[in-house]
Amino acid sequence: MLLAGCSTSSAGPIGAAPDRVIAGPQGAVGQFVVECGFDRFRADDPIVHPGDAGASHLHQFFGAHDVAADSVAERVRGGETTCDQRADTASYWAPALIGADGPIEPTKAVAYYRAGPDVDPLTVVPYPPGFMIVAGDHTATDAQPTSVVAFGCGTGGARTAEPSECGVNGITLTITFQDCWNGVDVRSSIPSQPALHVSYSRSGSCPSAHPVSIPQLQLAIEYPATSGVDPATLALTSGDIHSGHADFWNTWDEVKLRREVERCITRDLVCGVSG
Amino acid sequence: MFEQRSSIGVANVIAVLAIVAGACGGVDDVATPDPASNSSDETGSTSEPAPEPASESVDDTEATDVATTAAPTSQADASAATTEPLTDLGDDGIRSVPGEYATIQGAVDAAAEGDMVLVAPGVYVEAVDVETDRLTIRGADRDTVILDGELELDNGIRVLGASGVVVENLTAMNYTNNGVFWIQATGYRASYVTTYRTGDYGIYAFDSVQGQIDHAHTVGSRDAGIYIGQCYPCDALVTDVISANNGIGFSGTNAGGNLVIVNSDWYNNRVGIVPNSGSYELCYPQRSTTIIGNRVWANNQPDTPAIATALLAQGNGILVAGGIANTIERNRVDDHDRTGIGLVPYLEEFPNDDLPTEEEWLLSCDEFRLLPTAIPDDALLWDSYDNVVRDNVVSNSREADLAIASAGGDISTFRNCWSGNEFTTSAPLELQNLAPCDGAGAGDWTAGDLNVARWIGEQAGLPDEVDWREAPLPALGPHDNMDDPDTAPARPAVDVPSTIDLDAITTPELG
Repeated sequence: MLLAGCSTSSAGPIGAAPDRVIAGPQGAVGQFVVECGFDRFRADDPIVHPGDAGASHLHQFFGAHDVAADSVAERVRGGETTCDQRADTASYWAPALIGADGPIEPTKAVAYYRAGPDVDPLTVVPYPPGFMIVAGDHTATDAQPTSVVAFGCGTGGARTAEPSECGVNGITLTITFQDCWNGVDVRSSIPSQPALHVSYSRSGSCPSAHPVSIPQLQLAIEYPATSGVDPATLALTSGDIHSGHADFWNTWDEVKLRREVERCITRDLVCGVSG
Repeated sequence: MFEQRSSIGVANVIAVLAIVAGACGGVDDVATPDPASNSSDETGSTSEPAPEPASESVDDTEATDVATTAAPTSQADASAATTEPLTDLGDDGIRSVPGEYATIQGAVDAAAEGDMVLVAPGVYVEAVDVETDRLTIRGADRDTVILDGELELDNGIRVLGASGVVVENLTAMNYTNNGVFWIQATGYRASYVTTYRTGDYGIYAFDSVQGQIDHAHTVGSRDAGIYIGQCYPCDALVTDVISANNGIGFSGTNAGGNLVIVNSDWYNNRVGIVPNSGSYELCYPQRSTTIIGNRVWANNQPDTPAIATALLAQGNGILVAGGIANTIERNRVDDHDRTGIGLVPYLEEFPNDDLPTEEEWLLSCDEFRLLPTAIPDDALLWDSYDNVVRDNVVSNSREADLAIASAGGDISTFRNCWSGNEFTTSAPLELQNLAPCDGAGAGDWTAGDLNVARWIGEQAGLPDEVDWREAPLPALGPHDNMDDPDTAPARPAVDVPSTIDLDAITTPELG
């Protein structure tokens, strides 16, 4: 399945990136927020390399505890979690950030769930159980749109394609996921092309190939202060510093997820802020 | 850093009261049996007699590790099953828990606007969502009606966009986010509420107006005991509260406009009362909070949980960080490692919007949120302007009892004033002569001025954050109840804040 339509603009195909960088003061639009501690590094990818332990580049995992290539949703859901609320047993992972001494252990990941930009919150429905989604291009060697993959400092709004010196605040890697779904597939039909069933809204509307509005997950991975480290020496385990991406596996408690989507996104209420 | 959950450090008060909570360590809406009943739960841990009042069950301040009997997470959603009354006691507008409904959430879901949910003593492992206007949730006894998040559930009571909701006469503890939380409410009141050990705030009103928080006791919040944020005008009153052993006693980011904080105690926090501006939430700058007749002491506590702002600001009593036109009068402030009453800049290194103009200071929050935002390239320095510091008694501050500072700005132009304060030290020196509130000032603003940027460099040498789940906390002790909790009619929050005679408030004594 091809993405609907193509464009010659630098933003890539229509639906390949949000209309704009999603940043700015919290409190403006409805959201719910979960903060998840770092769980572990592991070279597994249950979405792209299911069942194939060690087949991936090194990932940093957050949320559900001990997720691996052979994990199954029924066992992950309701299990242990690193998140600050027990009901979020979803799994979040991304390539590890590499410094001179190897992988840099992140402090936490903050998951923001909102309606996509200009999308009518009333149209947003929860992800189906077991939903799998990947945002960002792990093969990229040039800058991706900062509306999809971006570095910043702390909770600041500035977004850049490469990390910069952040002083005591620490680097943040932010990945913004797709907010439109084909309404059928819980995962892409081709594991190596893991985003075929989803895309980004454009001007507040989802494309006909992916007509269902789902929450837009923005995952902000925070690192400890790296004062003294030259940001230009940092890399990602997926390759180039521009190869940022992240994976989300919906193994949330389904009752709680539905409640948060309905009460915070649909009703456009700010159910929490992080900072 | 959040995965250690095999045993839970809790104070003795919880150990005694959490007698049946072990089976319900899961998602919200999971019912905890009435401790007074003889029923047993799924895991076979039996109920015991109704708990004694918390105050009689503790006599020390040591936290105790209690191995829980937590069963695997239950996925049960009890609310659907409990919206029908267990016992039909007639439609008197009072929904009794557990008499008529097994859970607080069940009673809330069944309630009509203006109803009261009356909760009997017991431990309720629930995260209650409220979407019904003018609902009252009342505990029959403040110290023994306990909502317990068991360090896993997010909010004790979360009020989502509903108006006039009251929470009173109960305790909420061990929630990963907040004890009691109002979101976008018009009309709210928390009275005689105790919160203990919470991952963000004890009592929190966000983007909410026309509120009152009275007779609260908030202990052990990682961020702030009480937080009123993102409102202008807020039209809110905080009175007769005690906030201790939190990262911050009171936080008021971008909040003000008839926001009155009076007659309350703030002590043993990292930092006491902190109105501040920042572009990370809307409706900046912080403006027009009135702080009168409070006792603020010993906010140097080294073993509390704390966010980064509290770590940077630790050792200050009343600290206005980039705030505008606040009134600070007749407070008693004592024993702080840095300043008693400080007006300082708030450095926002990585902002989300540019500084508002002085014209924009006049905008209401509703008007402000219509403005476009623009992320600047450089850090923001929010300075403190137009504040009035008068007739306070400030003592034993290690850097200065009264202080004003910037980081490059000309503090002589910020239009703050000081008069009638009893104090020993100020930075700069002779502050009441430099900028009196009732006439022209004169003198040297650079003599003895405070280098506040130094605090950033010193932070690494100060006590670091203590995990909020494990921080040692004092026992709560006994609390006054509201009057006649069993019989007083519900009083929805349609008449708040109460009118208060500010002129009648005198500077309180310590001890």
